[in-house]
Amino acid sequence: MIQLHNVSMAYQQDASALNNINLNIGKGEFVFLTGPSGAGKTTLLRLLYGALEPTRGQVLIDGQNVSRLPASQIPYLRRTIGVVFQDFKLLQNRTVFENVAITLEVLGWGRADIGKKTMHILKQMGIESKFNLLTQRLSGGEQQRVALARALVNDPKILLADEPTGNLDDANKNQIFNIFKEANVRGTTVVVATHDRRLIEQSHKRLVTLNKGEIVEQVEKETGSNGQAL
Amino acid sequence: MNRWKKKQAATVKPFKRPGLAGDTFGGRAGYFFARAVTNIRQNVFVNVVTIATITLALLIVALFLLVFVNLEGVAENWSERVQVTVYFDKELSAGEQSGLRDKILALPGASRVTYVSREEALKRFKERLRGQETILEGVGPEVLPTSFEITLKRASRDTQKVEGFVSALKRIPGIDEVQYGEEWVRRFNSFLNFMRLLGALLGGFLVVAVVFIVSNTIKLTIYARRDELDVMSLVGATRFFIKAPFLIEGLIQGVAGSLIAIVLLFGLYEGFLQNAGSFLTFNPVASGLGFLPLEYIFGLLLAGALLGFIGSLTSLKRFINV
Repeated sequence: MIQLHNVSMAYQQDASALNNINLNIGKGEFVFLTGPSGAGKTTLLRLLYGALEPTRGQVLIDGQNVSRLPASQIPYLRRTIGVVFQDFKLLQNRTVFENVAITLEVLGWGRADIGKKTMHILKQMGIESKFNLLTQRLSGGEQQRVALARALVNDPKILLADEPTGNLDDANKNQIFNIFKEANVRGTTVVVATHDRRLIEQSHKRLVTLNKGEIVEQVEKETGSNGQAL
Repeated sequence: MNRWKKKQAATVKPFKRPGLAGDTFGGRAGYFFARAVTNIRQNVFVNVVTIATITLALLIVALFLLVFVNLEGVAENWSERVQVTVYFDKELSAGEQSGLRDKILALPGASRVTYVSREEALKRFKERLRGQETILEGVGPEVLPTSFEITLKRASRDTQKVEGFVSALKRIPGIDEVQYGEEWVRRFNSFLNFMRLLGALLGGFLVVAVVFIVSNTIKLTIYARRDELDVMSLVGATRFFIKAPFLIEGLIQGVAGSLIAIVLLFGLYEGFLQNAGSFLTFNPVASGLGFLPLEYIFGLLLAGALLGFIGSLTSLKRFINV
């Protein structure tokens, strides 16, 4: 599903943000991306949804070479990828419903279908009763669930998350993490960048550790074996 | 602990992808328009600021246009005085009159030819000397010349064309003495050219200032909403899809701004007409003062629409990074 071949990324003339990364994530996998701040986690995620172009190497999503994709094709790539962030990136002056419906509006769905599908996903997230509230009036956990609803409403093939629980308390962390797991069970490939050690240890999922732009460690799912060959 | 989790287990089922309402162009256009209107309602402050800016900017331009159009009108009236007179020292017979008249009218630029007989000339002379008629005692019409007074077409009233006309006139047999107040024509025309140049310079300067102010205002308002642009591109909206509602919004702002500007200008103009009598020595209505002609009003509306549209277009280019 996701393949990175010798990917390097440098911002201007600075030291490279990513250095010769090789990574293979299969369909339906759940992967944690961890490492200290500035290790290159966010850069890696941004490469995956086409917000950045690698300076060297290839990024393949579902067999498609993202680095060769013309700008006009990027939107179509993003329709198959859901993304959530630490700061949620919600539209503060719009309601919960509108924030989620935007994904389907972009796809050109009809009004009635958008209504049905949006309420359906809000129910899954447990926030259907707040559908008519402005997002600025929600708690952090609720806002992240709205962001997740927006990312998942279109049943994406891939869900990317950049420090999704960074702003949340423990109860909310668990709820959010459970939503990731549910999405994964339904077949979505999930990549979560986090440095929340507890979350990673609880989950027993594949773990990729970055440091200074390089993969320094890989731990396979539920086993302790190191250094998976790619 | 997870109320939502239980529910989720029950409701998770594959969701069939429904038909697209936006597949037809009409569906999309309707969506974009609705989106634009919703955006305006959700960003009232930003829209009020933008429309007010466009209104003020266009009001200044429109006020300038109104003054300019009226000055042009006054100048047109003055240029009626550009007149060429041909003198004769004898009374012309009806046949001679019409023969010469036809020849003069055949010249390019001539618009009207009036014959002034000796009687008529004396009458005008007396009128001019009203109160001092005694000077003319014993003077008969026979001492005065007869003449043709020739009015020129509007386009032929500048210095060069008048001179060309006069030299052509002199080539007609039977015409010797021609007067046309050369000095006055020259001065009047150079004054007119100066006014037009000044108008063009000032107008150009105003337009540049207006475009600058409006486009920067729009840029700031779009900058304030760049989150929206980011989110749209994040969920896979195409560039066109992101832009369209903003462009329609810009169009609405532009048209609204120019409409308000025109209404305000009309209010100012009417107010001026009502009150001008008290501080002006002339009657503004009788002196031919007028509001902007219809094509200028349409021009202003179009300018407003273009300002809003192009202002949004160029600003969006900067902030969309799909």
